[in-house]
Amino acid sequence: MSVARELWTGVALDDQIQAASSNPVILDGQALAVWRGEEGPVRVWEDRCPHRGMRLSFGFVRGETLRCIYHGWTYATDGQCLAIPAHPTLAPPKTICASTYPSETRYGIVWTKLDGGSNGAALPDLGPDEGWEPVRSLFVHAAASPVLEALLNCDLGQQGPVHMVAENAAEVEIGPELRVLVAVHAMDDERTALHAVARGPRAASERAGLARRLERLRDDIERA
Amino acid sequence: MAIRLYDYSLSGSCYKVRLMLGFLGLEYERVQMNFYPGRQHRSPEFREINPLGQIPVLEEDGLRLRDAQAILCHLANSHDASGEWLPRDAERFGPVMMWLMFAGGELMAASAARLHDALGYELDIEEARRKARAAFRVLDDHLTAREIAGARWIVGDTPTIADVACFPYVALAGDGGLGHEEYPALRNWMRDFRRLPRFRAMSGIPEFI
Amino acid sequence: MTVTTDPVALNQWVPCAWDGQIPVGGSLDTMIFGQPIHVQRTGEDSYRVAAVDGTTERELPVQVRYTCVFTTLGDTPRPLPEIAEFDEADRRITGCGNVGVNTSPYRLVENFLDMAHFAFIHTDVLGALDQTEVLAYRTEHRKEVDEIWAIDCTFYQPAASKAATGGQLTRYVYRVMSPFSVMLYKNVVTDPSRNDAICVFIQPKRETECLAYMPMAIVDEVSTVGDLIDFQQSIFLQDRVILENQRPALLPLDPTSELPTRADASSIAYRRWLKAMDIRFGILEKQAA
Ligand SMILES: N[C@@H](CCC(=O)N[C@@H](CS)C(=O)NCC(=O)O)C(=O)O
Ligand code: FES
Ligand SMILES: [Fe+2]
Repeated sequence: MSVARELWTGVALDDQIQAASSNPVILDGQALAVWRGEEGPVRVWEDRCPHRGMRLSFGFVRGETLRCIYHGWTYATDGQCLAIPAHPTLAPPKTICASTYPSETRYGIVWTKLDGGSNGAALPDLGPDEGWEPVRSLFVHAAASPVLEALLNCDLGQQGPVHMVAENAAEVEIGPELRVLVAVHAMDDERTALHAVARGPRAASERAGLARRLERLRDDIERA
Repeated sequence: MAIRLYDYSLSGSCYKVRLMLGFLGLEYERVQMNFYPGRQHRSPEFREINPLGQIPVLEEDGLRLRDAQAILCHLANSHDASGEWLPRDAERFGPVMMWLMFAGGELMAASAARLHDALGYELDIEEARRKARAAFRVLDDHLTAREIAGARWIVGDTPTIADVACFPYVALAGDGGLGHEEYPALRNWMRDFRRLPRFRAMSGIPEFI
Repeated sequence: MTVTTDPVALNQWVPCAWDGQIPVGGSLDTMIFGQPIHVQRTGEDSYRVAAVDGTTERELPVQVRYTCVFTTLGDTPRPLPEIAEFDEADRRITGCGNVGVNTSPYRLVENFLDMAHFAFIHTDVLGALDQTEVLAYRTEHRKEVDEIWAIDCTFYQPAASKAATGGQLTRYVYRVMSPFSVMLYKNVVTDPSRNDAICVFIQPKRETECLAYMPMAIVDEVSTVGDLIDFQQSIFLQDRVILENQRPALLPLDPTSELPTRADASSIAYRRWLKAMDIRFGILEKQAA
């Protein structure tokens, strides 16, 4: 499965992107910096500082700005450069801007797409956004298609059939009370990430058990 | 009660000890080793201090200790009045020891990858990276389970010597060509660790967080 | 990769070992510009270097200088630079071994020329967070030697060298001696009339795989060799994280693909010079050509 650039892809669990943090994510071979200010939503940027190319996932957050680790250039949430420490009195030209990608946080998952335009399908509609509990992210050393196949045939315990809710997301009902959503994220030809969330009255109490079953699934896929 | 550390700034194992000395607020004398390119740790003189030809070595009151993990145990045992860095209760003592052995064992594959990439050590780099990734995954799975349980540290509710021993080679993974992309729980734990009071960075771990 | 065909890159002397790395009678296998080479230490001060292609060997020129063993694949190489400080009797001449860095050689040179990162990457040593400004300095292309120089550089440093006991306004002069070598002169903490000389010579193994050698000629009667090396290596491994995480690793010469400011005047001059000499090895744009 190569990633359609206009397809929304889940790339992280919202819960695992700490406040004031920048994180490295690879989507279809592209390096992304996934960061959050001291408050506010998660942002997805190209992992490259416009100045001298340093990865912004190594950066540090101050307030709602992301600062590059190399020379401390400061970027606002829209990517605009606000300050250049080597020239403290200079107002950075408007042309200095980090590349950003669209990002949406839905069902506890951070979604992005590499094609910034409004082409392509909307995010899957799974009803209200509230009530989803994080389960965990997994990183499987296998290409996306065998991972997807294994996911469709997986056994998370007493479950109904797994069905696709988007080209790259699957949902499974475990009894009437528990729904699990898994976003499939192709990192490159050899690695695939899964981001799982759950919903229902048992979601929180089942989280540890579900996480273990997903780890088992990961290990089974890699052994195959 | 003077403490002396045979130290090399770029050694992740020495860094474990420097971190612990810092957390405990202990003064110490530093013996500068010319590890690379001098290979002073392999000299006959140093072999008398540590027959294994490795650093760190710590001396205190006639005691001479090698192995970072053993040194952490000693420092916590002798200098931590709170008892939190090395908890003695059955619930935590065993697990702390278990992760300490992991830090000195499986996790050292990440050290090997780093020595290969930075200092040109001849070894099977693919094998070292594969083992390091396997170790990172074990710790990431553990810390994910800890997150789910509402906890942040490897054992218990406060940082222990297990966290101190595991931190350096996880944080220095990039020096051996190993990214942190696949380990969200490790990233969050490292960030919490770096925000501890008295934490000090070393070369390879950015100062700002 | 195969051996580069770039004549500009081939006609440079580059280090292939540090003096003392190989025991007398011993040898090592390494690579320059994609070419496997065999370096043999035939005597206390003599080395033999050969390009190895399967079972055939072609002997290459050798020079031992500045604590390094140099060789070249070219027929008309640019001569090694003259660095007078290495001949001064009271200097501490020290190599630091070599350190592997996975990026293009030019990223290393640019990092070495750059003062704007001191406060962030060498915090409390070569720079401080409350004094991040890079004051204007001058760059020049010295045509007679075909080198790039940056002069009148100053930067506030909390601990400028191993010998430092406090902060100082350090004066720097930078000198790019070839596409793969650069050095700096910085005023000695204990004797402002003299300069420490610190070099970086790069062995490009492949386009984005290098070994960095850091010979120094230092004025310092107190520090041990171990201290001097530890200081220099600590600084360099702080830079190494940056170097291996710049994207792309190959150097872009298109002036619009990365956005410099005045503080990057030396990097701008270096890139312009590289472009004018039409070097291709390790450069991003030739990939498209
Ligand atoms: N088990 C020792 C290992 C320490 C270690 O590997 N130290 C490295 C430096 S980071 C060393 O001295 N290596 C030399 C060698 O093993 O030959 C510990 O944890 O302290
Ligand atoms: S590379 Fe980001 S500030 Fe210079
Ligand atoms: Fe630097």
